[in-house]
Amino acid sequence: MTPRLRFESISKSFPGVNALTDVSFDVAPGEIHGLLGENGAGKSTLLRILSGVYRPTSGTVFVDGEAVAFRKPMDARAAGIAMIHQELQQVPHLSVAQNMFLGHSLTHMGGMFVSRREQEARAAEALSMIDKTIDPSAPISSLKVAQRQIVEIGRALLDKAKVIAMDEPTSSLTPSEFDRLAEVIASLSQSGVSIIYVSHKMDEVFRICQRSSIMRDGKLVDIVDLARVSETDVIAKMVGRELMQEEHNSFVTDTVKLEAKKLSSTTRIRDVSFTLHKGEVLGIAGLVGSGRTELLRLLAGVDRLSAGSISIDGKEQSFSNPRDAIAAGIGLVPEERKREGIIPLRPVAINMALASLGSFSSGGMINNFKLRATAQDLLTRVNLRPFQLDRPIRLFSGGNQQKAIIARWLAAKSQILLFDEPTRGIDVGAKSEIYHLIEDLAREGHSIIVVSSELPEVIRLSDRVLVIREGRIAATIERDQLSESAIVAHAIPGANADADDARIARPRVNLQDNP
Amino acid sequence: MTSTSNAPATSAPTFRRFSFSLRDAGTLIGLIVIMAVFAALVPGFISERNLVNILQQSSINACLALGMTLVIISGGIDLSVGPTAAISAVVTASLLVAGTPIPLAILAGLGVGVLCGLINGGLVAYVGLQPFIVTLGTLSTYRAIALIYTGGNPVLGIPPGFRSLFNGNLFGIPTPVLIVAVVAIAAWILLKKTPIGEYLMAVGGNEEAAYVAGVPIARTKITAYVISGGLAALASLILIGRLGAAEPILGNLWELDAIAAAAIGGASLMGGKGSILGTILGAIILGAMRNGLTLMNVQAFYQLLATGLIILVAMMIDRATRGRE
Repeated sequence: MTPRLRFESISKSFPGVNALTDVSFDVAPGEIHGLLGENGAGKSTLLRILSGVYRPTSGTVFVDGEAVAFRKPMDARAAGIAMIHQELQQVPHLSVAQNMFLGHSLTHMGGMFVSRREQEARAAEALSMIDKTIDPSAPISSLKVAQRQIVEIGRALLDKAKVIAMDEPTSSLTPSEFDRLAEVIASLSQSGVSIIYVSHKMDEVFRICQRSSIMRDGKLVDIVDLARVSETDVIAKMVGRELMQEEHNSFVTDTVKLEAKKLSSTTRIRDVSFTLHKGEVLGIAGLVGSGRTELLRLLAGVDRLSAGSISIDGKEQSFSNPRDAIAAGIGLVPEERKREGIIPLRPVAINMALASLGSFSSGGMINNFKLRATAQDLLTRVNLRPFQLDRPIRLFSGGNQQKAIIARWLAAKSQILLFDEPTRGIDVGAKSEIYHLIEDLAREGHSIIVVSSELPEVIRLSDRVLVIREGRIAATIERDQLSESAIVAHAIPGANADADDARIARPRVNLQDNP
Repeated sequence: MTSTSNAPATSAPTFRRFSFSLRDAGTLIGLIVIMAVFAALVPGFISERNLVNILQQSSINACLALGMTLVIISGGIDLSVGPTAAISAVVTASLLVAGTPIPLAILAGLGVGVLCGLINGGLVAYVGLQPFIVTLGTLSTYRAIALIYTGGNPVLGIPPGFRSLFNGNLFGIPTPVLIVAVVAIAAWILLKKTPIGEYLMAVGGNEEAAYVAGVPIARTKITAYVISGGLAALASLILIGRLGAAEPILGNLWELDAIAAAAIGGASLMGGKGSILGTILGAIILGAMRNGLTLMNVQAFYQLLATGLIILVAMMIDRATRGRE
């Protein structure tokens, strides 16, 4: 049987980088084919070639046995290739039908008017194959993310797509929504549509796909039959080595470093009291929106307290902005690195030094030799790669940007480090580096707070966990009592809440969270 | 963590003291092309005398554009430079005419510019208004103050001592050119070598991140507007030195030339990016264009057209060479 889609020796190079090297694989009609790999493995480049955004440097793509050379995305679309992007590309205030016909509206009177009614009828027809509950005349903004994804699939069907490539389709879906998507995908496959399914989530790929291609460093490492391999094998192939299950090490001392008393804020925090010891890693768990991030922002001086007090080394503090908190020895490694962490165009060394430029200056001038020496030291210590101090930070991977932000607080000699989702958008490899770094910092006597949605991460790192619910501390769990079920039980409001919709990580091998 | 962690120690990259960026090279090439075209079309364009002329004619705009560059890097814009210059000019001229010692009058004039900048900066940083709106408001306000102060009449009779200071020669080079050269070097040092420069780029590049990292946001922004106001005042002193009179309507549309020079030189109106050298080259490009077209007896209307087109072409080349991001 002719494969529906065939990649033959696809290579793509950009100036200075080989993004793809000699990638070949087939996808059969109706096959659901996984595409796995770490960030930067080349998955996105391959999808962009498939969808006509890039042209391969060498190699050929075949659709139904015929060589195709897409010059622009429209060519790929015309050949029956549909892409469903992670960030849905829809216009919020237009209707479902209008979005589905975006770019090639049905018109009458020689193209003067859009035939709304006919568009809606055709949209309803396409959607009826997958989801009958969506009203084609409803504005897209009134739909949930999961439904909007279904609309994108409907649009692909409208285009008579033979291949649908989905890039991280479930990054913002709840587990029950995922089940629904899985059904839709299965029915598409039965009707002969081939699916390329890109995800970082192992369990999903195993559940949905029959075979998966595994990529690493722009090369195809293996094509596996998912029924015959284990998740651990697949991870090992993706990362190129085995990930060790690691023990938790504790360096807690009796010295109280920070004491928070009855903290309240206008940003959801109510009456939160706790202590943080020297050398301790304190985990904070809770649902999204429970006030975890807000608590860190209070401690870092980003938001203001409305009541309560924070004392460090027994001395009461009053923070009116982050400068005050930094002076008191607190550093925040924020969740949204792009928005709150990095100055994208500036060199990584400058990004590292930003919070302590004063200490690198004398007479109003920056002492470059001193700055340089410190950058050498600290960025070596956090294992920055590539080790290019003058390179703008935006050109580094998420993990390396994160390392630079951590180094920023080492340069500022912060004693208390606050991590908000420390490994969000970071590769598996860099993730374990960050874990080690956090552990090393604790060993050296830093006090650390880690907020994370990933329960395995919280449990791996924490000496003690505060569970936050609706802005209050719902429970404090000691290391020996720590388990995912214990945390979940306290995190969810009400005794029998719908755990399905709780956006807290399932116990799954979660290779990468959505950036 | 085995091989990589040892590598950096051996391959420690040396710090580049003077970096001549690719973008600046592009601006320089643009200037050379324009000079070459005029050299071919206009006899005497490349003569030493005319080149000095071009620098002198560019000096006022370059002075303003340096301040504008710092403001743009900080993520703002200063539309009020022309009227700021006007207030400063009429105040300085009135003081001089009234017999105030020259150094004192100069200080007062610069002080007025700094004050105008302080008001702009305060409204942006503390009241939280958008820079475009703030300086659009002060554009009218400052102009009105200059007109009200003088009753709309020019201030005449600026003493020769002052004029020779701002319109003289030193070692055969016009003093305005020297003044602007000194300002440019100072601005370059500020941007490249001081924490304030880094703060400007950080605030313009990502204000939220700069705040979390402890950068003094308000102080940084105000500094940019104060410098811009001060340099607008300095530019006005150069102008009244040349003219011998201060008109309350002077500096009309100066802000546009200054923004154009900064943008041609690589400043991004999104903030976080800009080059002192580039801005100077940008100002010289605009000056050379005008000089060349005037020597060719091209009508003013067409000169305006050429200026507009050169800005658009420069930005298109910039866009095309930067690639998609």
